[in-house]
Amino acid sequence: MEQTVVNELDAVAVHVRNLDFYYGQVQALFGINMNIKPRQVTAFIGPSGCGKSTLLRCFNRMNEVLLGTRIAGDILIHGSDIYREGTRLESLRKRVGMVFQKSNPFPMTIFENIAFGPRMRGLREKAQLEGIVERSLKQADLWQEVKDRLNRSALDLSGGQQQRLCIARALANEPEIILMDEPASALDPISTAKIEETIQELRTNYTIVIVTHNLQQAARCSDYTAFFYLGKLVEMDATAKIFQTPTQKRTEDYISGKFG
Amino acid sequence: MPVSENKGYREFRRGFWAEGVPFIWISGITVLLLIGMIAGLIGIIVASGAGNFWPANVAKLTLKDGSYLLGPVTDREEEGAAARTQVKIANRDVFGLDFKWVDDSEIVKTEYPADAAVIERMEYGHLQGFILSFKEGDTVTPATSAGFFDMVAAKHRQVSEAREEMKSVQERITHERRSLTEIEIAMRKLSSGPASDLPETKVRLDEMQKQFDAKSETLAASLQGPERELERLEALAACCEVEVAISDGSTKTVPLMNAVDIYRPNGMGPFSKAAYYAGKAVSFLVDWPRESNTEGGVYPAIFGTVMMVFLMVIICTPLGVMTALYMHEYAKPGPALSAVRMAVNNLAGVPSIVFGIFGLGFFVYFVGGGLDALFFADKLPEPTFGTGGILWASLTLALLTVPVVVVSTLEGLAAVPRANREGSLALGASKFQTIWNVVLPNAMPGILTGVILAISRAAGEVAPLMITGVVKLVSELPVDASWPFFHLDRKFMHLGFHIYDVGFQSPNVEAAKPMVYTTTGLLLLIVVALNLVAIVLRNKLRNKYRGSAL
Ligand SMILES: Nc1ncnc2c1ncn2[C@@H]1O[C@H](COP(=O)(O)OP(=O)(O)OP(=O)(O)O)[C@@H](O)[C@H]1O
Ligand SMILES: [Mg+2]
Repeated sequence: MEQTVVNELDAVAVHVRNLDFYYGQVQALFGINMNIKPRQVTAFIGPSGCGKSTLLRCFNRMNEVLLGTRIAGDILIHGSDIYREGTRLESLRKRVGMVFQKSNPFPMTIFENIAFGPRMRGLREKAQLEGIVERSLKQADLWQEVKDRLNRSALDLSGGQQQRLCIARALANEPEIILMDEPASALDPISTAKIEETIQELRTNYTIVIVTHNLQQAARCSDYTAFFYLGKLVEMDATAKIFQTPTQKRTEDYISGKFG
Repeated sequence: MPVSENKGYREFRRGFWAEGVPFIWISGITVLLLIGMIAGLIGIIVASGAGNFWPANVAKLTLKDGSYLLGPVTDREEEGAAARTQVKIANRDVFGLDFKWVDDSEIVKTEYPADAAVIERMEYGHLQGFILSFKEGDTVTPATSAGFFDMVAAKHRQVSEAREEMKSVQERITHERRSLTEIEIAMRKLSSGPASDLPETKVRLDEMQKQFDAKSETLAASLQGPERELERLEALAACCEVEVAISDGSTKTVPLMNAVDIYRPNGMGPFSKAAYYAGKAVSFLVDWPRESNTEGGVYPAIFGTVMMVFLMVIICTPLGVMTALYMHEYAKPGPALSAVRMAVNNLAGVPSIVFGIFGLGFFVYFVGGGLDALFFADKLPEPTFGTGGILWASLTLALLTVPVVVVSTLEGLAAVPRANREGSLALGASKFQTIWNVVLPNAMPGILTGVILAISRAAGEVAPLMITGVVKLVSELPVDASWPFFHLDRKFMHLGFHIYDVGFQSPNVEAAKPMVYTTTGLLLLIVVALNLVAIVLRNKLRNKYRGSAL
């Protein structure tokens, strides 16, 4: 019996139920219901302004930084309701990491950037931090490029390197879920390929949700795809299915480039 | 042809107005005006102040009636055919006035005799004349004898050294005697206090008297050496005099001990003049003032100004930054916050004298008086903190400058990229951790801009200081070697007030004028230097955070 419960929880990383979201008076999300599978890559696609980022930012409660936002419905991450009262934002955001569209390294050294999360949780021991930094940079495919200049400013890195640094920074927290909001939209094709490669390597251990405008990217590196339109989830299924035999007309139109 | 010309002109006219050419011109002219005004101001200050220490040549103007004037020519006026010349005749103790105007028609001959001497004295300013002789005890050496001036200079050095040594021995003796003075004061207080008639008080007084006697005996023994030394030095310092013939025909005797400097400017080459200039400039920076501040140095005023600014920065920076942090990061936006913002902005426009009065009433009388009643009651009615002092003046100025820091910090905080805050929060940092580790370092350039503005405002402020702790002259600095080293209750000197004092309150305003300019220049320099420190710091930080606003 206990076994099945664990399995059930294991089968869903993020469970979204009847989610409405408002920016002040303006409703941005309408009755979203979805399940995101653990250790899979899920892509969010849809035309600009349809609410992809908004939903993503609900998963680590980043929307609360903005004043006047309101949410209704439930989000369960590995079975626990993250909007329940008493949830500690710090530990939620440690479990659910985020990579932003524009890379945002802190004006500190590379080492300090990666060690930021663990340090905030009170880790002080140098050797331990060094281990974490090395592991995270290796996971993000950046170690070879920066291992000799860990004490240089992170702002001296190239745009693509900065974005991988931000991925490594999120990984240093050992999150369960990684949210990526158009992580490669500002990058050149080679950096984009590198990021996609990193995503492929991470998928075995992490649940990844990625927002993208690049349909090829979604087709290439995701297992599941969710299509949004005007704040509503239109369709969500295995990526191959969405791209080959979508059930909804709108999805088909969007994928075949008729609008968007 | 005329058609196309006409068209060209029309296009020119359209471009002229559309591209705002006149506007660019006007704004350019205003900038030029501003620069011109600043350059003019600095030019006047430098031109009038920089020459202050230069040993000007001494002219001998022989007049029609056979008498002569001796002194540097300081000014000339021409009105039609009539011209007149101003001479600094000095010898204030004899002539009363330092300057004299003489009509050019009166002057028969102008020469620059090589042996005209200037003696800068400890009192009464310069003495100008011709040195006749040097007297040591009963031996008189006439000025005509070989190597006379070298001998005088050597003697003068000796005497000056003795004088300096005297001062330090004197200080040592006073210091040793202090414990004795303390007992004396305690005894006086006991015997005049309310319990003076009680028998135990009498016993205690007797005890103290014994203690006093014993101590004074040992002290007398141990001070015998220094006192004898003092006597020897006194004799040495008072050994010699020079005799000088001045222009009214009389002779004046100056004890060598009273001479700060003896020189003959007409005989000096440019290098020795430059050396003299440098020496004077240094002594201006490191010496204490003499002759009601019109001569000597301004060291205590420099010290007081800089220390007050530092104290002010130490107080107003955290105050302003914390206020701004709360307003920007924690307070809910709304009418209350807008009101506070407006109040802060307007606070910066309150006249500084109002802050001064507030400082006097609140800090000096209320806080200082309270501190005295609590901790220094034994010294009352002599106030310790209940009177103006450097701490209260700095606090008052900190209040005055805090709005500036708040406003700049607010701007700095608003400029911190949202991406950085969200990046930190997304990594699981708490709000406080985000502010401390990401927001504040990022806002540092803004904070330092506030500090720079605060320094500029505070260093030039005089009015509020006059009633919260600045004085004309102090005998001790607010920092010295005696416990507890920092004496924040002490009054202090300030360059801004010094300028006012020398320029308007001194007995001889005309003679003090160059000093006013020099001091003003110095104050400007110090403000610039203090600002430079903050600017360099800010640029360093800016470099570090460059590109963070990608
Ligand atoms: N801070 C905000 N305040 C008010 N409305 C907002 C805010 N952020 C987003 N919105 C609105 O919410 C809706 C969804 O925005 P969201 O950023 O989630 O779209 P998106 O799908 O991520 O678009 P894009 O692909 O362009 O990033 C939009 O209509 C947008 O105008
Ligand atoms: Mg978006």
